[in-house]
Amino acid sequence: MKRNAVVILICITLILAPGSSVANPGGNGDGDRDYSCGGSCHGDPSLSMPSDATIEITLGNEAFSGQAVAVHVTIEDFSTPSQIIGIFLLGSLNGNSDTPEDHGWHLIQDPNGGSSNYIETKASSSGSVTATWVLLSPENSGSHVLYAEIHHGSYAGEKAFSGVSEPFEVNVQDVPEGLPGLADDWVAPSFRVSGDNSPLSISTRNSTDISVEWMLDGEWNPNNAELVCKEDSQDVCNVWEVSIPATIGEANILYRVTTYNGTFSIEQPWLKMGTAPPPFEGEVWSARAHSFAFALLIISFLVTLQARLYPPNQRDDMDQTQIVTSSEMIRSEENPGWLWNPDTQEWVEDPDFEGGN
Amino acid sequence: MMVGAATFHTAMAEIVVGSMVLATLCAIGCSISRILPSSEINNESLMITMDRASLAGSVLALIFLPIAILSGNLAADGQAESALLYNKFVYSGLALGFWSAFVIGRIRMGPGLWDERPLAILQSTTAGFAFLMTSMASSIGGKLVRGESLFDVFPFWLPTETAAILPLWAAVSLLILGITSSALVFRFTLPKIARIE
Repeated sequence: MKRNAVVILICITLILAPGSSVANPGGNGDGDRDYSCGGSCHGDPSLSMPSDATIEITLGNEAFSGQAVAVHVTIEDFSTPSQIIGIFLLGSLNGNSDTPEDHGWHLIQDPNGGSSNYIETKASSSGSVTATWVLLSPENSGSHVLYAEIHHGSYAGEKAFSGVSEPFEVNVQDVPEGLPGLADDWVAPSFRVSGDNSPLSISTRNSTDISVEWMLDGEWNPNNAELVCKEDSQDVCNVWEVSIPATIGEANILYRVTTYNGTFSIEQPWLKMGTAPPPFEGEVWSARAHSFAFALLIISFLVTLQARLYPPNQRDDMDQTQIVTSSEMIRSEENPGWLWNPDTQEWVEDPDFEGGN
Repeated sequence: MMVGAATFHTAMAEIVVGSMVLATLCAIGCSISRILPSSEINNESLMITMDRASLAGSVLALIFLPIAILSGNLAADGQAESALLYNKFVYSGLALGFWSAFVIGRIRMGPGLWDERPLAILQSTTAGFAFLMTSMASSIGGKLVRGESLFDVFPFWLPTETAAILPLWAAVSLLILGITSSALVFRFTLPKIARIE
């Protein structure tokens, strides 16, 4: 009776141990996502509660149509057990087709170095985080709206916290004739392989010259990078190769492009480039051979050990028939009834011998 | 309706892990049963049950392990693109080796092996290592698919994030060495080991 109670208690404990959550408390990873459809089930009001966080959007520089602009999203006064927070940068609150790309913006870089409108990041211990997206403004000048939505875990457990900013109006101005900037189709690279010092290719438009400053993440004094124009044109040059030093480990490098054309001198937002580990060089056939080699070596070692630990008395009492049938014994005409064992170099009785009859 | 290689691999791995847990617990139970004095609970019937359960579990694991490895190969799409995946291959091979040795020992020596303390300890230790290696391979599967594993709660564990990569020629040489040593070992131990009565 007591034993049954213990078994039932263990079973109940094991069932309850994993918890009842079917959500993704570790997040779904960065990506281009609408807030409601496909991106997050937290858009469903029955699965979320309003977050206490304050969400603020600011611009890093003036927005000209088709030009790069930095959008800072600052979130404060929130608490979450895992410190993980998911942040969406949105062009509307429609629920679908609401990414900035759907509203004419073009993402150059997200705060994690990729080019997604949704990112996951960790908050500081004080419960605040600032994330910066770099976007190309829409080609249509005038008023455009951006939103930031967040979701994060709760100590209460069952539901996620969700919050949205006030609409942030961006007044996109017409571009003066010949204003230099980054090319529409250029996407800033997220990573370089550790130790790679190959030049970085940057595409611009309407630029007669550019300068590039760089510094390691956390430093304050930028350095000027060497650069080369890769176009033959006399007036403008829109393809550049910039020498930025190689990084190793987990270092991030920040760089800023300034584009020039006549009297224009436009400082673009700071961009970030991470360091990726070198590509893995293992081959699948090597892994397979390695795997089966280990299997066979382990078998060999353990079977040898079994033979070594096999009790000696059993070895002596062993039925000789088995030895005779399983090894190559030599039958001798001169010694009837006996077999020569070349392995042990001794004579053994022939179990098949029938007394010479 | 077709099932993806990754789904099939997961199902096979679950069968292997389930039967392996049974086999390991029963093998360790057999050793403990022989060390502890006989009692109402620790009787011959329990010993026979655990011995047969460990044999059945390990044979089942050994049958499904190659299927799990092959389906894992297909799921990996013929690539060992990360240290985790490379280590999954290696740990699977180690698990296969330990399970094979466990089953070979039990079948060749019979249930009488549990009466010989050194052999009983060797056999249960083999089962323990087989459990460890299979768990490592499964844990890496969890890391690859879900980004986390039950073993993350341990402060230290066998290496999975870094791999000792062998060039193809070295891996093939090691495989030839393995084949040769297996052939020699079976050639010389075959007449020496029989069922312990």
